[in-house]
Amino acid sequence: MKELLKELCLVNSISGDEDTVRSVIEKKISDLCDEYHIDPLGSLICFKKGRSSAKKLMVCAHMDEVGFIVTYIRSDGTLSIAPVGGVDPSVVIGRQVTVGKNRLNGVVGSTAVHNLSADEREDPAKFEGLYIDIGAADKEDAEKYVNLGDCGYFESEFAEFGDHFVKSKAIDDRAGCAMMIKLMQEELEYDTWFVFNVQEEIGLRGSRASAYSVAPDFALVLEATTAADIDGVSGQKKVCSCGKGPVVGFMDRSTVYDKEMYALAFKLAEENDIPCQTKTMIAGGNDSGAIHISGRGVRTLAVSVPCRYLHSPSCVIDFNDLDNTYKLVKLLVKRIPEL
Amino acid sequence: MNVKDTVIALTEASGASGNESAAAEAALEILKKFCPDAEYTAGNIIGRYGAEKPERPLLVLDAHIDQVGMIVTYITDEGFIKFSNLGGLDHRILPAQPVVIHGRKDVKGVICSVPPHLSGGKAEVLSYDDAAIDTGMTKEELEKYVSLGDSITYDVHYRELLGSRITARSLDDRCGVAAILRTLELLEGCEPAYNIAVIFSSQEELGERGAAIGAYTLDPDIALAVDVSFAYAIGEDEKKCGKLGKGPMIGISPSLSREITDKLINAAKAEDIPYQTEVMNGMTGTNADRYSVSRGGAKTCTVSIPLRNMHTPVEVIDLEDVELTAKLLAGFIKGAE
Repeated sequence: MKELLKELCLVNSISGDEDTVRSVIEKKISDLCDEYHIDPLGSLICFKKGRSSAKKLMVCAHMDEVGFIVTYIRSDGTLSIAPVGGVDPSVVIGRQVTVGKNRLNGVVGSTAVHNLSADEREDPAKFEGLYIDIGAADKEDAEKYVNLGDCGYFESEFAEFGDHFVKSKAIDDRAGCAMMIKLMQEELEYDTWFVFNVQEEIGLRGSRASAYSVAPDFALVLEATTAADIDGVSGQKKVCSCGKGPVVGFMDRSTVYDKEMYALAFKLAEENDIPCQTKTMIAGGNDSGAIHISGRGVRTLAVSVPCRYLHSPSCVIDFNDLDNTYKLVKLLVKRIPEL
Repeated sequence: MNVKDTVIALTEASGASGNESAAAEAALEILKKFCPDAEYTAGNIIGRYGAEKPERPLLVLDAHIDQVGMIVTYITDEGFIKFSNLGGLDHRILPAQPVVIHGRKDVKGVICSVPPHLSGGKAEVLSYDDAAIDTGMTKEELEKYVSLGDSITYDVHYRELLGSRITARSLDDRCGVAAILRTLELLEGCEPAYNIAVIFSSQEELGERGAAIGAYTLDPDIALAVDVSFAYAIGEDEKKCGKLGKGPMIGISPSLSREITDKLINAAKAEDIPYQTEVMNGMTGTNADRYSVSRGGAKTCTVSIPLRNMHTPVEVIDLEDVELTAKLLAGFIKGAE
């Protein structure tokens, strides 16, 4: 699954711009399901028959990653940008980026630290002050290569480091996409709809439409979630930790999760010796927020890979957690429809 | 010698201040083509170009070989690395920045980034006290490879931008090193009016310490500090900046020799080399400050390559400026004949 994750993470596709990653995924799943289509927003909705059609189960992940959009070309040929999705400008300043359909190399520049006052040095970066430098001589030169509305992407390598950790951009949520592709290769107990959603990062847009179309009885959302098990953070503020297995939350800012599904996840984990953890703070949210209140309501659970530095070019996960998350998800799709 | 390939080879080698060996060895290897007796001594690379003649004044061409970086100060029980800065870093850019720790082997890491739920919505710049590096290892595992005092550099590789512009870490001042190497190549076949010594000096970013030793050791009559200076982009003060692609910036300052400044400008004019001036009102913040008052003093000037985003992993230069700097230096040396 590592090679699959690497391939997916290195594809550049931000919210509203999922065509590239979707075509990569489409090639991989076209022979793995009974039918599939692309909905009007761009989500990829796949159906795979199982042994039983008693219940409708939907498994989903989002294809989009956070990034930027070019809002203005300045007189010096540098590009003003706005964030697409929740991006902290502190992880944008001083990075390499890629811009537009022609995948131009760029950097996010800033005033040299030498030329900042003592106060300015302690003032965190803001998007209004950030710009992408593609090496254009001036505005006229830049206009030959860039249009307003072009997308910007984090540039990062996919690196294995430490004790079975990996580091890359876009692990949120290409990790979920990778698990879905792998799951579609399995024989299924129940009819299952697999949905690769668009536009999660700008407010759970794709899942709102696709959940309505599929109208499932149950939904299982595969995600990456913030782990804050870093230096100087203790107790509940860690939220969850790398190396402690899949994260199954009871509640976050978007959803109060189905209690029976929540209990089932921990029961299956215990029975099968899979480490599993919950979140110790009510923080974050995901497509569950749109799905569980779709139509007449959908019983929903999210299972996530704990991920440090989410929404940065250096997302970090413990690869063992991804393996364990996949094991738990495989068990859950067999048992959820029995609830 | 291909300027771009030289700049790339020099920036891909690591050399945080006081820990320059990898970058210094890379520079020494190229310098030996022009100065076969060049050596790595007291932290500096020093080479002498051509035959020495007692009647000729000694010209020293200086560029610093070190880059800004970090140094390991502590390893926590959970395996996180605490660090201090080597040189003036912009700590606004630290969160989630990939780094390499140069231990018994190179170890990859990421500077921890504090997620929004912990900052309570109040954005603050990460302080060195709170900053730490995540290597994905336990303390026990990490200690096999990393010791206190190991240096750390940004883990980033060069990329070409439009035209002749390029981004890399440590272009400050490896592009100056490349400009001097290219100068020596341009001098081939001509008899210079100076005895010429080249120094790629250490620890500039910690306060020009390598140049302090180098200046005393070499005792030049004339010294040129070939470094970088600020290139304009919106947000910078135009008065303090040169422009990318418009040629080397010749220093003018009360602390520099006006005679040498004028000779550089005349050399540029004589050879039709585009140049810019950089007016300062005292010390220059470069190795020039060391040469001018070392021993009994030396006539000193700065020649600077314009650079954006100084001291970050995404420094930007125009390679044309490196070539023009080499032409200016070669013209200056030939013009004295």
